[in-house]
Amino acid sequence: MPDDWQAVWLTAMLAGVTTLLLFPISSPLAWWLARSDSKGRSLVEAVVAMPLVLPPTVLGFYLLVMLNPESFVGGLWLNIMGESLTFSFSGLVIASVIYSLPFMVQPLHATFRAVPEPVLEAAATLGASPRDQWLNVVLPLAKRGYLTGGVLTFAHTVGEFGVVLMMGGNIPGETRVLSIAIYEHVETLNYQAAHSLALGLMCFSFLSLWLVYRYAGHRFEVVR
Amino acid sequence: MSNQLIIRGCLERARFTLDLDLSIDLNEPLGIMGATGAGKTTLLRIIAGLEPDFTGSVAFCGQVWRDGMIDRVPTHQRGLGVAFQDSRLLPGRTVENNLNFAIQRAPAVDSRLDYVTLVEALDLQHLLRESVDSLSGGERQRVALARALLARPQLLLLDEPVYANDNAHRQQVIAHLGDWMSADGTPFIYVSHVAAEVAQLTRQLLILDQGAVQALGETNALLEVRNVVLGTEPPSLAAVVVAADRHSRTATLQFTHIDDAVCALSQGERVVVCRDASDGSRLDASLQPKSDEDQR
Repeated sequence: MPDDWQAVWLTAMLAGVTTLLLFPISSPLAWWLARSDSKGRSLVEAVVAMPLVLPPTVLGFYLLVMLNPESFVGGLWLNIMGESLTFSFSGLVIASVIYSLPFMVQPLHATFRAVPEPVLEAAATLGASPRDQWLNVVLPLAKRGYLTGGVLTFAHTVGEFGVVLMMGGNIPGETRVLSIAIYEHVETLNYQAAHSLALGLMCFSFLSLWLVYRYAGHRFEVVR
Repeated sequence: MSNQLIIRGCLERARFTLDLDLSIDLNEPLGIMGATGAGKTTLLRIIAGLEPDFTGSVAFCGQVWRDGMIDRVPTHQRGLGVAFQDSRLLPGRTVENNLNFAIQRAPAVDSRLDYVTLVEALDLQHLLRESVDSLSGGERQRVALARALLARPQLLLLDEPVYANDNAHRQQVIAHLGDWMSADGTPFIYVSHVAAEVAQLTRQLLILDQGAVQALGETNALLEVRNVVLGTEPPSLAAVVVAADRHSRTATLQFTHIDDAVCALSQGERVVVCRDASDGSRLDASLQPKSDEDQR
């Protein structure tokens, strides 16, 4: 059981770090998608949404190929940080950020699209610089989008399995997250332990979604 | 101090092309009139730097704001106060919060207009804690006007700022606005369809028609031409009004180009009596209503 608590803690850490990283990464990307008329926009939208339709094992496989110590990125990381990206917590974070990207970008995209341009124009005429407009007009109007994106990203990362298995394996304290722990319990026929963790995850997922619908209202729509 | 506003350039729209060559001294307040879709709001947006497709130059008080396609001074640094026709309040916030947004970004300059005076005069005291989302159209417009004034602008742009208000509020706001502006001396441009408001607040008037400057002149004289000589329609003449006389029911216009005058004379339904044609670059003409002419 201590191993399971370790898995819970590791999962919460992974989901928390991923969510925190995705806020600053997704904000400019979602803003650009919401406001740009560029011809390349639909291309970027498609790339961002890829994890929604791609089998996690496919994504995990290519991440493994791209981030292993023999690859350019993996080798560079190994030289600078002194650890391999594969089968490590850092590698899991990178994989989770990519895998959960659409779950943050899409709610933010929807909420940014709903910010009325005329209101931003009015703010500009009152002396608000673009940065000031972003911080004091856009962000307050987008808080529901951030809540939705944060909850969905956290919950989705908690439920990761395929990508984690491909990229991280099953190393206790390093890459053994909840979904892997449940899989291992089932493999060893320890259904009681698997049941405890699975029920916990189910309750958590329900609470996350309830939170989204309760506080973000029905305004949330996935933009595809 | 000279408050010269210079706008030269053009902007293509689906329904018209706004073609401007204006140099106006805003020491006297300017009114803008014209039919719906004439380009009045677009002109204000060009001055505010909100039309990125405008090609030309905009300068105010000797400072170049836009040159070609480049904003030398972005909108937020132009020292504007704009009361938009559709209010454009910050949604999901209280009236007080919207007013504070302007106050926090206003330059520290002396002004006779303080918060309490404005809020009372515009009948907003009982609304301060209300969400702007719950206000009526007229209330929203009064908040937008207060917000524009509290920005302590060096140039105030008012785009039909009271049209959604009832008569009592309209008259009250216009009266206050006239007093404040004459006391404060802030240059301003007032767009409206209501001649009485324009006459009360402004000293010079620009009439636009499908993006072109139809007439520019002294407000009362131009409104005399519009109302007394030509009926309710604005004159379809590219001309500057020199004088208008209610008793003789005549107006003297100065045409920039003789061709415009000839064209106007031949196409106009009403009798136009030429009094003086000079060197070809200028023509002074006097207008009289056709009905009067027929009766004689």
